[in-house]
Amino acid sequence: MATEVIWWVFAILITILSAGVVFSRSVIHSAIFLIGSLAGVGVMFVLMTVEFLALTQFLIYGGAVTVLVLLALMLTRADPSGRAEKVNGPQAPFALLAGGAIATVLLVAGLSTEWVGNTEAPTNIAIETISQRLFEDYGLPFILASVLLLVALIGAIIVARQEEGE
Amino acid sequence: MVPLENYLALSAVMFSLGVYGVLARRNAVLILMSVELMLNAVNLNFVAFAAYLDPGQIVGAIFAVFIITVAAAEVGLALAIVIRLFRNRATANVDEAATMKW
Repeated sequence: MATEVIWWVFAILITILSAGVVFSRSVIHSAIFLIGSLAGVGVMFVLMTVEFLALTQFLIYGGAVTVLVLLALMLTRADPSGRAEKVNGPQAPFALLAGGAIATVLLVAGLSTEWVGNTEAPTNIAIETISQRLFEDYGLPFILASVLLLVALIGAIIVARQEEGE
Repeated sequence: MVPLENYLALSAVMFSLGVYGVLARRNAVLILMSVELMLNAVNLNFVAFAAYLDPGQIVGAIFAVFIITVAAAEVGLALAIVIRLFRNRATANVDEAATMKW
């Protein structure tokens, strides 16, 4: 019973914060809403008893990604006076239409399908199980992911660095 | 316990909000933040399916690990490009970066 209450509290919180990210007029407020929303997803992983992904979520999204986004926001302030600039384009009403249509399709598809298996309660996914699957069965993709991170890191440095005579 | 459908509904709402953000926003960093919302909605879906329907193979949880990795690489590179764009054009508005638009 307590789990349901916590779930609903955090589900409503995530929905409000996600709406804040896309509807807020201030870019900094959007970034702060994003931190809360991503942390809420981490809580959802805890409620699903998938501890490893919850930890990853808090560390990478709650820490690294949001700090990076905030830093980029601060570096790309076109108007330092803080005057509210127009954050949405003229296409915003159509975007609302597209988002609503996708929400309808996803909700109908997800809720009307008869899922095969135990849909009542989650099974605990232990950290040992994940590490075993990751290092034994998915070893090659794991190594490729590390190479991808290295390439992205070098690429980001090359793209963003200040060149001579600029 | 909370049934699987609740997670699917939450993920659908989050994903649609992300779609709206990507289409409506003009600031490149705000578009990236909406993409992060969509990626997280997908992750929530993958992990929910792994924990409820596939506890033996947990393919969904493994997939979520790789999505988080690729998302981190994507954010790092994309923000470097945005900073570069800002340095060259003094704007982070995607409507004004239209040199390569046909």
